Amino acid sequence: MTKDNTAGAANRRRAASGDPLGPNSEIGRKLKQYYDELVSDNVPDRFAQLLSQLEQAQPARKKD
Amino acid sequence: MAAVSQSFKTDLLGSIPSLRAFAVSLTQNADKADDLVQETLVKAWDKHESFEPGTNLKAWLFTILRNEFYSQMRKRGREVQDSDGIMTARLAVHPAQHGQLDLKDFRSALEQLPEDQREAIILIGASGFSYEEAAEICGCAVGTIKSRVSRARTRLQEILKISGDDEFGPDAISAQVTGSNAA
Repeated sequence: MTKDNTAGAANRRRAASGDPLGPNSEIGRKLKQYYDELVSDNVPDRFAQLLSQLEQAQPARKKD
Repeated sequence: MAAVSQSFKTDLLGSIPSLRAFAVSLTQNADKADDLVQETLVKAWDKHESFEPGTNLKAWLFTILRNEFYSQMRKRGREVQDSDGIMTARLAVHPAQHGQLDLKDFRSALEQLPEDQREAIILIGASGFSYEEAAEICGCAVGTIKSRVSRARTRLQEILKISGDDEFGPDAISAQVTGSNAA
């Protein structure tokens, strides 16, 4: 919900303030490259299956 | 116990790529990382009622994942990462040439950092969290995060033999742009 906004805003703040891990930093750029590669990795089916199983196992909604 | 809402489930699914990236960063091992993500999802599902809608779900999930990681490490009697043996041998440092730093070398350098420094620099430099959010995720003071990030950055520069990081700034970016256009 807020993840992309948070990242975008943080990056903009860093770009504006000359942050040591901002886009002008070699370390900062590599760090993002490293991480973006991990984030874009295909998600195995097991996780969607897990959530479906959890959903089926959850107790029926009760009135409080 | 209230039923888990559909939107919570959807948001959980959407968070999985980030959770996996953070888990790999912590464990440095794809299989362990996925097990950790699975544990995190189960825990998050069980305690979904303690999540306050409207607050940062990603930060909440990262906190659960991180706690799970450290509690597993403690249970295992802290299985020490082999950062002194294999990783160092594999590193065989190639000095960075004009800002062209190999991603493989960077990954090896990252593996050599102590966990607390690695997670701090990942949360701040890659996951897009603020210092305040990272401090909350790690259960420590903002100043602690700042000093860990700073030490991590210095250590990475040492390992990768990068000096004066900032000198690569605008020139390196324009060089990349020019290079890619010319290619």
